[in-house]
Amino acid sequence: MDLLGTILWPLKWVVEALLVAFHSLFSVLGMDYNGGLTWVLSIVGLVIVVRAALIPIFVRQIKSQRKMLEVAPQLKKIQDKYKGKKDQFSREAMSRETMDLYKRTGTNPLSSCLPLLLQMPIFFALFSVLNDAQRSQAGVGPLNDDLAKSFGNATLFGDAPLHDSFASQWSKMVAGQDFNAVVMWIAAIMVVLMTASQFITQLQIVSKNMSPETKASPMFKQQRIMLYLLPLVFAFSGVAFPLGVMFYWLTSNIWTMIQQFLVIRNMPTPGSEAAKAREERLARKGKLIATDGDVIVVEEPKKPQRQQPVAKNRAKKQSGPKK
Amino acid sequence: MIRFLTTLLLLPRNAGVLVLRAYRAVISPLYGDVCRYYPSCSAYALGAVQEYGLVVGSARAALRLGRCHPWAAGGIDDVPHKRKRRYTVTPFGFVIAASHGKG
Repeated sequence: MDLLGTILWPLKWVVEALLVAFHSLFSVLGMDYNGGLTWVLSIVGLVIVVRAALIPIFVRQIKSQRKMLEVAPQLKKIQDKYKGKKDQFSREAMSRETMDLYKRTGTNPLSSCLPLLLQMPIFFALFSVLNDAQRSQAGVGPLNDDLAKSFGNATLFGDAPLHDSFASQWSKMVAGQDFNAVVMWIAAIMVVLMTASQFITQLQIVSKNMSPETKASPMFKQQRIMLYLLPLVFAFSGVAFPLGVMFYWLTSNIWTMIQQFLVIRNMPTPGSEAAKAREERLARKGKLIATDGDVIVVEEPKKPQRQQPVAKNRAKKQSGPKK
Repeated sequence: MIRFLTTLLLLPRNAGVLVLRAYRAVISPLYGDVCRYYPSCSAYALGAVQEYGLVVGSARAALRLGRCHPWAAGGIDDVPHKRKRRYTVTPFGFVIAASHGKG
């Protein structure tokens, strides 16, 4: 076994176990044992388990973002100090001081690249599971011969195998052989959906959840370029990857999009547009908590109507339990 | 002659610098600012390879990656400098023999 295979072995085992577990669950529920939809839903189940397992990391990030409110004045001080200084040394010194502040106050809002690094091997593991299944080869663990054959031969809409990719059909088409247009259509549609979901996620962050200071940084401009380059990346990988892997990626993207939407709505970055929108929303409901813990209530215009005086006994009756 | 040997000696780390520069230009912006440390892990790796060479530098970078997880405190974590620095670094990041004195 090669080095990569050894590293991936436990992950492949887990991926297979989850796939098989979801597959048998859906089969028991009455879905077609060999159906493409059953296997696609198993992949969706796999994504949900993986992303749910990553939620604690996300929650931690949100919590430190909440704490960021407390250090906002200090952060502002640093930003003012370096206002208008765009040379490399000032930028570096600013990042340095900001990072130091985060550490001192335990408010680091960044999550490190571990969540990303963790997902990559899972992605590769799924890729190799699908690749083996394509040749109807049994996996390393729970995916036995029988299941691998079923997975390898599973098709969507009658004749689009999950292990097939746009590229393989394309080369057939160019060579003038019989090719499968359904595979190409599904792959193309998924590339469009993936690009759209990624675009929305990024746009949500950029347009709503960034403080003006971040927007002025050079890193932001770089990210802006990436927003328009990503569709190319997706188009490229969408051509090369098997449909099954694409389903994993697409579902994961959609999960990120929704998660981001909820976070931006409920836990926005202090100083951003989303934060202002949230404050307005809360103020309207009279639930806005100021930093010192007081509830800020927007003054309602007093009603001119006079309250009818009520006798003590009657008042008791009115507030008592209704019959 | 000594100059040639130094260049040869520095070749692996400069190859590493090139790879890391490419990574930082193409892949880093894909997921934006996520590192809990300053300098970020890839900047640390670049500095470590420049300072200690490909093998030791990569090992130091790997240790740093291990330190960088959502439960780490983060903060400032620079590459420790060697006591005696023999090379200079070009603006791009390549390591060359110091222009003054012997290499």
